[in-house]
Amino acid sequence: MISLIKNELTKIFAKKASWIYIIILFLAVIAVGILQQKVFDLGPSDPNWREDVQAEINEYQKILKENPEDEWTMELIQQNQSYLDENIDPNAYSSWHFMNGTVIGMTMLITLFSVIVGSAVVSSEFADGTIKQLLIRPHRRWEILLSKYIATLIYSFSLLVALIIFGYIVGLVLFGAGDFNTKFFETTLDGYKLAVVGDQFVLKVLYYLPSLLIIVSIAFMLSTIFKSQALAVGIGIFVLFLSSTLGGIIVMIAEKFAWAKLLIFPHLDLTVYALQDHILQDVTLPMSLLILAVYYIIFMVLTFIFFQKRDIII
Amino acid sequence: MTKKALEVRSLTKKVKNKVIVDDVSFEVEKGEIFGLLGPNGAGKTTIIRMIVSLIGRTKGEVIVNGYHTDEQFKKSMSEMGAIVENPEFYKYMSGYKNLKHYANMATNEVTEERIKEVVKLVGLENAVHQKVKTYSLGMRQRLGVAQALLHNPSLLILDEPTNGLDPQGIREFRDYLRSLTKQGISVIVSSHLLSEMELMCDRFAIIEKGKLIHVSSINQLASQEQFVPTVLFEVSDVNQAFELLKEQQLTNDWKVVEGQQQFSIKIDKETIADVNQLLVSKGIKVYSIHPITTTLEDRFLELTGKGEKGGKNE
Ligand SMILES: Nc1ncnc2c1ncn2[C@@H]1O[C@H](COP(=O)(O)OP(=O)(O)O)[C@@H](O)[C@H]1O
Ligand SMILES: [Mg+2]
Repeated sequence: MISLIKNELTKIFAKKASWIYIIILFLAVIAVGILQQKVFDLGPSDPNWREDVQAEINEYQKILKENPEDEWTMELIQQNQSYLDENIDPNAYSSWHFMNGTVIGMTMLITLFSVIVGSAVVSSEFADGTIKQLLIRPHRRWEILLSKYIATLIYSFSLLVALIIFGYIVGLVLFGAGDFNTKFFETTLDGYKLAVVGDQFVLKVLYYLPSLLIIVSIAFMLSTIFKSQALAVGIGIFVLFLSSTLGGIIVMIAEKFAWAKLLIFPHLDLTVYALQDHILQDVTLPMSLLILAVYYIIFMVLTFIFFQKRDIII
Repeated sequence: MTKKALEVRSLTKKVKNKVIVDDVSFEVEKGEIFGLLGPNGAGKTTIIRMIVSLIGRTKGEVIVNGYHTDEQFKKSMSEMGAIVENPEFYKYMSGYKNLKHYANMATNEVTEERIKEVVKLVGLENAVHQKVKTYSLGMRQRLGVAQALLHNPSLLILDEPTNGLDPQGIREFRDYLRSLTKQGISVIVSSHLLSEMELMCDRFAIIEKGKLIHVSSINQLASQEQFVPTVLFEVSDVNQAFELLKEQQLTNDWKVVEGQQQFSIKIDKETIADVNQLLVSKGIKVYSIHPITTTLEDRFLELTGKGEKGGKNE
């Protein structure tokens, strides 16, 4: 099995495209980092920040005196006050803020590249006709398919590791080293919550893993069943980019029809759980994970049965 | 009782109620070159695909060197090396990397020396480190043979192996197959060209419309009793010769070559001398006598019932 997986990795990395995706990832991180630094002028904590925040509060209070019913101003005062209370410089920005705010957003590229590579892993063997030489070896078909699947996941995981490393280095260079345990206010769907920036980053990475696994598996399944990379990539990207939109729509439907929450879409982006505890009233993380697990098992069983039974006529 | 290199029993393939291969059985002896001969679309490739388990069998069994493919799949697969239709490779990798890839999949260890040896055997030393996309069809064919031989199989299966080879290459290939059988390897070759089978095989099966209609050795076929060669005579007076021979009832299958003093009759070896004597004794000059070796092609056409259109000579 190990030698089969090594073979598959050799083939993945023998293709130029697989390296180009890693380079694109690197360039994208640099580009976004520089853009952020220039446009928002982000940087390390200013020693006099408390005075600045206090000054801002005073400004707002003046406005409030003239206009006592202004809710927005009240909120701003409250927020600034919590910065002072929790001793958080709202403008402090470090490598960890960059990781949590920006690098996490770029995981979408990883899913995208993994879908492209993962769907080629099986379909290109059909397109090139090499599948017939691959399957006349003394290995069971499921072993060969599994080696391909594992190699795809290893590639995806390498991309993720590369992104994290690039992200950290770029963050370090552009924004300076920050404390992993820095507290900050994370913007959530309904306001903001106090969190530790490093923890939050790790949490999001962990919540990202299941959705990466599922979307890559869907692409892998489609490319195995339809032998077409284009189709698998197409549907994979569709799922990737529309899952949040579709997820939102389905959440609304689910308020009326309970079965809708069993659809896969609202559960594909679990990073939501880094911000809130539930998607719908009764849909929490364990529930989402369970639903994903059921889909995952169905996809895998379909993929392997299909491949095992298929007549190879090339 | 020695084991056969291959036993095929009642092999049948039905696709959507269409019978593509119909109850085909044959055996291949150790060290034998066995041919599958039949026109395009006869089902040769389908038989081969079933032997190497690329497609399912509707019925029948395959036993390779004593290993039943259903019961000892891996063992039986490691006994075989095959090319099914055109060999296909990972074009973005070198010939060597391709071979290494297949070497990694073998159950027995394939050493560096073995890879070198096989590369030398097929005469690809100079090109083996180039990417396969630069290879000619002939080079790919040879690389195909190399990948099939790499793991020292006891049975080599080659589907139309001479496609893309020039006459020189075909001759070398033939000699090469011979030398393999000296090492105890058995070979199955398929072809739609009888002339090729004639030169290459010890025995062959004729496949037509999915049925095995005849198995015979080349020698048997040529020496069957009822087989009488056609002989061409060049004489001074064809008409007089005809009168003479008719009296002796020797005008079996009489044909005259128009515009020339030549005729042909079907007679056996002994009678050639008698006819010559007869003609000479009656004052007819005999300039030349040529036995026209009937090709296997003619025999093949007779056997498959296509000879009615008039047997063609060389
Ligand atoms: N999976 C299939 N479905 C339908 N027809 C098939 C299938 N595989 C082969 N055939 C048909 O079976 C016949 C035999 O094909 P093949 O084995 O490739 O012949 P050969 O190799 O002798 O030229 C052809 O007519 C081909 O079209
Ligand atoms: Mg064929």
